[in-house]
Amino acid sequence: MSAAPLPTLLVIPTGIGCAIGGYAGDALPSARLLAAASGCLITHPNVMNGAALYWSDPRIHYVEGWGLDRFAAGALALRPVRRQRVGLLLDAGIEEELRLRHLQVADGCRATLGLEIGPVVSTDVPLDVSLELGSSGASWGRLGRPDALLRAGERLRAAGATAIAVVARFPEDPESEALAAYRGGSGVDVLAGAEAVISHLLCDHLGIPCAHAPALSPLPPNPALDPRAAGEELGTTFLPCVLVGLSRAPDLLAWPPSPAAVTAGVGEWLRPEAIGAVVTPAGALGGAAVLACAERGVPVITVANPCVLQVSAEALGLEVLAASSYAEAAGLVLALREGIAPASLARPLPSLLAV
Amino acid sequence: MKLVPLELRLPRRSGSLRAQVEAALLVHGRPLRWAITGVESQAGQPAELLCVEAVLIAHGDGVAGSEDPSA
Repeated sequence: MSAAPLPTLLVIPTGIGCAIGGYAGDALPSARLLAAASGCLITHPNVMNGAALYWSDPRIHYVEGWGLDRFAAGALALRPVRRQRVGLLLDAGIEEELRLRHLQVADGCRATLGLEIGPVVSTDVPLDVSLELGSSGASWGRLGRPDALLRAGERLRAAGATAIAVVARFPEDPESEALAAYRGGSGVDVLAGAEAVISHLLCDHLGIPCAHAPALSPLPPNPALDPRAAGEELGTTFLPCVLVGLSRAPDLLAWPPSPAAVTAGVGEWLRPEAIGAVVTPAGALGGAAVLACAERGVPVITVANPCVLQVSAEALGLEVLAASSYAEAAGLVLALREGIAPASLARPLPSLLAV
Repeated sequence: MKLVPLELRLPRRSGSLRAQVEAALLVHGRPLRWAITGVESQAGQPAELLCVEAVLIAHGDGVAGSEDPSA
């Protein structure tokens, strides 16, 4: 008989060029393995979103980074749901033909996957997304009209949406070196930072699950396309994975709960104190979720997963369990789940010292 | 309301890294997304510098750009 699930966070920060997870949902196999090892994995859209490719697993909880940070910090709990009603928020800057493609993807997900999608709302003005790189090489970005995003989100929530998929028109430079590097498997996803800003802002404002897909014109075929980027070149939108992910994303609920919530029952909620481990790239320990877990005494499992950052356990003075791969990390998660001390699995095993 | 990018270098202090980063960012706006993206040694100084990149929510005239409090 298996031990009880060990709720585990998988964090692979977006826009830092991780060798695994820096492309089109290419950390999904690792997430599936960790979900099997833990019995309960909480992770974010960057891990799960492969544009036209996705994987639905009841053991995996799809939580955008804003919610993940607060869950890790003990300020939110997660309530699993059978389904969400996913509102579709479209940037007014999307051209008519591209807009039609997105509406048809949403219709396809309704007809073929049985998702509940709608209503659809467009922003009153274009969102004016811009892309930036920080000094570290990580991608960031911003919105010229965040107010328009929030107004549209409020309209969707008022119309009954319980989760929101946002599609913003992103700037294009098909000849750029950064895009060529990304498609060739050696660069940072320059779109990712702005995507995270958009979804964080909407989650922060509305407190419901939100995720983002960029609207872009299709690229010409590239015979040298890296397999990790291929998921984004199968279709005309990046939207299917977002709709599937949000369709069963857990509700985000304040923690500790209000007296009314306690009365209604919190038995099924995933509580922050239940987090049993966090798995993260060894060079990217400086994010809010990982630091919150470390400060709360949650075991931090680092994985050798090269990226543009070098914020290691040594640099921050954190105690971690180091793994050379996600397969090894899954073994450590399973050990924690089964109550096996990770130190007992390595040699040499030093003798006990009296204190 | 607007979104403001910000890069900071903070002398590292003892205690919660998260709390000291968030406190430093709050001076400029409400943190929306942030990360420590580097840790640098300072010549002749015991304290390391935490390099932080962030996007903040600011109301009115937010401050954008870079700031080096050790300078």
